Amino acid sequence: MRTYGGALAFFAAAGLAPLLVGDAFLRDSLVLILIWGSAAGAWNIAGGYAGQISLGHSAFFGLGAYAAALCGVRWNISPWWGLLIGGALASAAGMVIGFLSNRLRGPYFVIATIAVSQVLLLGASRWRGFTAGSEGIPVPFRPGFWSLGIADKRIWVWIVLALALVVYLAQVYLERSRRGLQLAAVREDEDAALSLGVAARRLKVVAIAVSAAFSAVCGALWAQYVGFVDPLYVFSVDLSLRFALAAIIGGLGTALGLGSHLIGLYLILYGIALIVMVRYAPQGLVGWLRGR
Amino acid sequence: MSLLSVRGVTKRFGGIAANRGITFDVAAGELVGIIGPNGAGKSTLFDCISGFYAPDEGEVELDGARLTRLSPDNVCRRGVARTFQKLRPFQGMTVAENVMVGALTRTRDVKHAREQAHEWLRRVGLLEKANAHGRTLSTGQRKRLELARALATQPRLLLLDEVTGGVDQRSIPGLVELVRELHAGGLTLLVIEHNMRVVTAVAQRIVAMHMGELIADGAPDAVARERKVVEAYLGQAYLR
Repeated sequence: MRTYGGALAFFAAAGLAPLLVGDAFLRDSLVLILIWGSAAGAWNIAGGYAGQISLGHSAFFGLGAYAAALCGVRWNISPWWGLLIGGALASAAGMVIGFLSNRLRGPYFVIATIAVSQVLLLGASRWRGFTAGSEGIPVPFRPGFWSLGIADKRIWVWIVLALALVVYLAQVYLERSRRGLQLAAVREDEDAALSLGVAARRLKVVAIAVSAAFSAVCGALWAQYVGFVDPLYVFSVDLSLRFALAAIIGGLGTALGLGSHLIGLYLILYGIALIVMVRYAPQGLVGWLRGR
Repeated sequence: MSLLSVRGVTKRFGGIAANRGITFDVAAGELVGIIGPNGAGKSTLFDCISGFYAPDEGEVELDGARLTRLSPDNVCRRGVARTFQKLRPFQGMTVAENVMVGALTRTRDVKHAREQAHEWLRRVGLLEKANAHGRTLSTGQRKRLELARALATQPRLLLLDEVTGGVDQRSIPGLVELVRELHAGGLTLLVIEHNMRVVTAVAQRIVAMHMGELIADGAPDAVARERKVVEAYLGQAYLR
């Protein structure tokens, strides 16, 4: 049985860091690392464990971001509701995509997911009356925990740390449970899995829906933290690519891979890292370390 | 009372009928062999029975309940397991995990599934490979793995697609013995097999196919002497 010592140390260090580190930039970096790491972990549930490689996960992230922002701007309710609404919307969208693209495998599924994120991008940037169009929405800052107007970055670290922990535990569940084994079988060979009684289609749809919901929660918290939602950013293929690359470099279908997200110069680093990884460690960093 | 009943199954791909009006029964506890040259439609018939294809015409029934148009996973849960001609182990998973996937169709408990998996691996003689990865196995070992995995779903009927195909000569007797044991244990089997020596040794009855049609159905030595079967395998020059 695999040990989870590394993960425990990582989460403990991240939880204690804001108490020991006073520097605003480092705290800010930690919050973003945890959000992007969680988003990569959320992507990994569909892409890594279920083998449903998506390059349209920004669709779900964006839905979450918009849900949180619109809660404050249009309906004047707590952005916490945005997490819930965004999560529900994204998982419904994920279910529809999963259901419609059930028979699509490989590149066709990837293309379908890109298409969905682009449709949402067009919708969000044209529907001026509701989404404020391509100018984007500034998220109102209303002080208080219930309104997620938190200036103290330490609190933010702990909020997103809780999110990262939940996403991590979801992945641990997928490594050890009945559903996880069945999902892995679907990823390895769908026909063989079907022949052994695994309800492959339903499992894939559920995996995509859960992955989408987590992505939306990441998006909602990100929007509240950063304070501005720009459709061209939150629905971009670029962002989708980030989630996918972070998870691939960390290790597809491994729970700890989410810690591998770094900020700054990321495209160049990713490009080089991706080439190196695919050439020398196609099983990902975590898989490579486990193989030592 | 027949366990499996295939009634007039026809499956067309464009203008070609891979199966045409196939009708036969398999009684509970029987071991039936299917023979036929390449392209006779044997694997297509397996796909029609196991739910991977919906036949264009005809019905497949298991113990009186219709299987036709059920999805493959549903067919498996009803009690029909199969192996594939082209072996498809879950490469990235361990041998034990491969078998656990089968066992988890009948139990929700992962620990219980692991125990069952080890038991099946012991039965097929693959226990020492339990923690190896699927990709590291030889062809003969992969056949055993597929068998263990299918058996773990606790089938009433097992469809075996080429048990000895591509396996080295030394491994064949062991596999044949395994099939015999399973049959002796009460399992009903439908076995596609190219090796005539193997199929006549294990099968109680043989169904022969040629060009998508069923051309003979009967006792092994009678089918082997059947005019149409000899013609299909060897051509007219060998007919006397």
